[in-house]
Amino acid sequence: MRQMSGIKTKEREFFQRFGLQFRVQHTLLFLSTITLIITGVPLWCMGRPGYSWSQAVVRAFGSIETIRYIHRAGAAVLILVSIYHLFYTVFTKEGRREFIELLPRWKDVSDVTINSLYFLGLLKYRPSFGRYTYYEKFDYWAVYWGCVIMIGTGLVLWFPQVAAKYVPWFTYELAAEVHGDEAILAALALFIWHFYNVHFNPSLFPGTLLWWHGKISGEEMMRDHVLEYYKTVLAQTKSKDQKADSQSGTTV
Amino acid sequence: MRKETEATVGLILVFFASTYALEGQELLGDRSDGSRATPLHLIPLYAENKDGEKGEQIEPGAEFPMPFSMSWTCGECHSYGLVKKGWHFNAVDSNVAPGRPGQPWIYFAPKLCIQIPLSYRQWPGTFRPAQVGLTEFQFTRIFGRHMPGGGPGEVQTTEVDEIARQFVSGTLEINCLACHNAHHGQDMGGPGGYAVQVSRQNFRWAAAASCEFASVKGSAAAVPETYDPFLPDPDEKNAPRVTYRKEAFNENNEVLLQIVREVPNQRCYYCHSNLYYSQPEKAERWALDEDIHLTAGLRCVDCHRNGIDHNIVRGYAEESVHSSNPLAATSSCEGCHLSQGKDQPQAGRLGAPVPKHKGLPPSHLKKLTCTACHSGPWPGNETILTKTSRAHRLGTPNVNKAQEVLPHIIAPVFARQEGRIAAGPWHGLPARENTVKMAVPLVPAKPGERGKIAPHKLIWPAYWAVIEGDQVKPVAIGVIEKVVGKVFADLELPGTGDWPKITKEKIAEALKALGAAVESEAVYVAGGTLYRLDGSRELAEEVDHPAAAPYMWPIAHDVRPAAQSLGARQCEDCHSPDAPFFKSLVCIDSPVQGDGGVFKQMIDMYEFGGPVYVRVNWFFKVLIIGVMTLLILHILGDLYRRFITKVQTLKFKNKNCGIAAKRR
Repeated sequence: MRQMSGIKTKEREFFQRFGLQFRVQHTLLFLSTITLIITGVPLWCMGRPGYSWSQAVVRAFGSIETIRYIHRAGAAVLILVSIYHLFYTVFTKEGRREFIELLPRWKDVSDVTINSLYFLGLLKYRPSFGRYTYYEKFDYWAVYWGCVIMIGTGLVLWFPQVAAKYVPWFTYELAAEVHGDEAILAALALFIWHFYNVHFNPSLFPGTLLWWHGKISGEEMMRDHVLEYYKTVLAQTKSKDQKADSQSGTTV
Repeated sequence: MRKETEATVGLILVFFASTYALEGQELLGDRSDGSRATPLHLIPLYAENKDGEKGEQIEPGAEFPMPFSMSWTCGECHSYGLVKKGWHFNAVDSNVAPGRPGQPWIYFAPKLCIQIPLSYRQWPGTFRPAQVGLTEFQFTRIFGRHMPGGGPGEVQTTEVDEIARQFVSGTLEINCLACHNAHHGQDMGGPGGYAVQVSRQNFRWAAAASCEFASVKGSAAAVPETYDPFLPDPDEKNAPRVTYRKEAFNENNEVLLQIVREVPNQRCYYCHSNLYYSQPEKAERWALDEDIHLTAGLRCVDCHRNGIDHNIVRGYAEESVHSSNPLAATSSCEGCHLSQGKDQPQAGRLGAPVPKHKGLPPSHLKKLTCTACHSGPWPGNETILTKTSRAHRLGTPNVNKAQEVLPHIIAPVFARQEGRIAAGPWHGLPARENTVKMAVPLVPAKPGERGKIAPHKLIWPAYWAVIEGDQVKPVAIGVIEKVVGKVFADLELPGTGDWPKITKEKIAEALKALGAAVESEAVYVAGGTLYRLDGSRELAEEVDHPAAAPYMWPIAHDVRPAAQSLGARQCEDCHSPDAPFFKSLVCIDSPVQGDGGVFKQMIDMYEFGGPVYVRVNWFFKVLIIGVMTLLILHILGDLYRRFITKVQTLKFKNKNCGIAAKRR
């Protein structure tokens, strides 16, 4: 991801928030996740009392085997994008910087406290957020933890014989339970929490294309990432000054 | 002179034979000489005399011949005292290790809503017959029909009321013919056969009645206690009398018995048959496949072997721990199907295939018995009712063939094998009476070991008892008949032999009546629940009470081959959301209205503390509820503040608009 750069348009000021690699990862992640949820729900419901409708979903797909193949294809994409992200985090400057920005800090604790007091009407102003708000960090780490659990347990379900050989304590039933439970948590968090923050939030409704072009308006920056805004503007001003100085022949 | 000499020699031989027998010396038939041929059994038959000693040789033409005695006939050449130590006959010996829990004798009385597992062996969960007031004599009369004699049948009663009666009926000696007679005329369950004779208290006559060359009429139970069977009264028409088929005897009054060393399967089946009601259309025997071993040509006794001591191999994995049979270790599933060690070829005994278990994670073999996948009926969505010879009198006259007939045995139930056995002298601990079910001390077979999961048959005990502290003691059946029988006098019994339905009000009424008749607090146990009267004399229920826990015993047969085993269709046989191994419903059987016909899940039967993933599920439930509550509160807080801000902005705008208008 490139350093945020201000782009002046006639109407609004825009900044490049996310780079191409980040957007590709996000796109692969949400495509695979949506696929996994759509195919995972009928797999989870099959055979459980009170979920006879799942039979209709299975018929729509053709067979349970078809659903299973699609689910595993989605899982393969998720695994690949997770590996991609690990490499991105370790081997690219941008990835390392983003990772460091996403690490929890004490400021996040104070931000949670201040925001809670703000919600309760006890404070008049929201906290000033940096590049990532605490709830964006929560999103990231929830996905991180979720991927580790879902991929780990999913592999046990996919290759039970291998798993039973090398991790016999991690039984098929335990894996199935964790896989299903974590999937429910992840799906709820995605559709309620993440969708609110990026789609249904009155400021963003009906949604933002940030995930597509990676650009954020100066207005949104001022509202949600004010510290990052000033940091970026300051850096741009400094850069411009240095550029101007170098063009003027460095006369002192 | 020559005859006198022969007689003298004969007497000397008999004397020596008797002396050897008494001193535990080997008799003629105690040890094989190595010949595989079955010895000819053209032998004289002997009766027992009034003093319990060897009586006269049987003469079929006598006016009132006595029944022949097994102990004195077979005991001529085989040490009867040694045979009595065999597994089929030694249950009453408290010094015999009980081994793995087996099928109990089930006393049931629909009218009294009783179904209780009994055993002389200290199998945890069973009760000693004496605990329900059954003497050995009474026990034999009820259950002797499917016993090969011996055991409780030979115990001399000490009950004053029964001494005279037992003198008439005699004892139920070991019926060697029940197993070793290969003649198709051996009658165990026929109209005049062994079972009928036992029910008539014709214990002394039962073995003779079962063989092909004798028949018995009359009933010892129908004659007065003063009747002397050794001085038959021609006027006593009901007295038991035996008639021998004269053609069966030669000129020396010897009989050619079709005795075989290896017991034919048909003889075993009389007591060891099972009927699983898995599917209605397969409820008939002809529609069922049999055990793969039998299909392959093996006989029961090829695996269940014994020597003259009749200490037969039961065939379970840990049997060698407490069996003196040298073949115990090699006659289990593993014993036959796995390698016999370096000195033996890499193949199973008797050509048994060595299992490959290709692709099966080894952890399965540590957690499951072989039978879990290879034995018993195929598990379905619900457990099924099962009948057994001993519980349902199969093979005897006038059996109620309805599926629902009591006792209710449920199968297959996957449960952990005890992995532990009741303590007793064989563990260096003092023997103790199994007076209270919950008080039976248990010791692990191996320290820290959990039993493997195996398919079981299960019975939910139902009985009337008294509770003293934490001890639940069943009340004698005689008392129950008098007290509870009176309360339940109007109870309608279904023709199917199923439970009558009793209401909880009726139980309370019966408990009040029983409480007045016994000294301690009366309780009723059924379907895993203990019913008692609380302080206000209302019925209280204690669900899953230890005294109401089901009794289970492992299923061994019928064995299914690899292609028909659980797992033959890969992991999904067990590891799928609706797999019976985990999710099958185990019926809770109870006569109490509203409590019967409910279910437990199979997993609860072998993971009593709850499996790990159940706790994981609980953790995730808390996590999901907690996290989502916080997130939704966050969203609501955000929306609330946005709303407030919007309202304040509008007010501010309106206010400013008003000021501007005034200025204008």
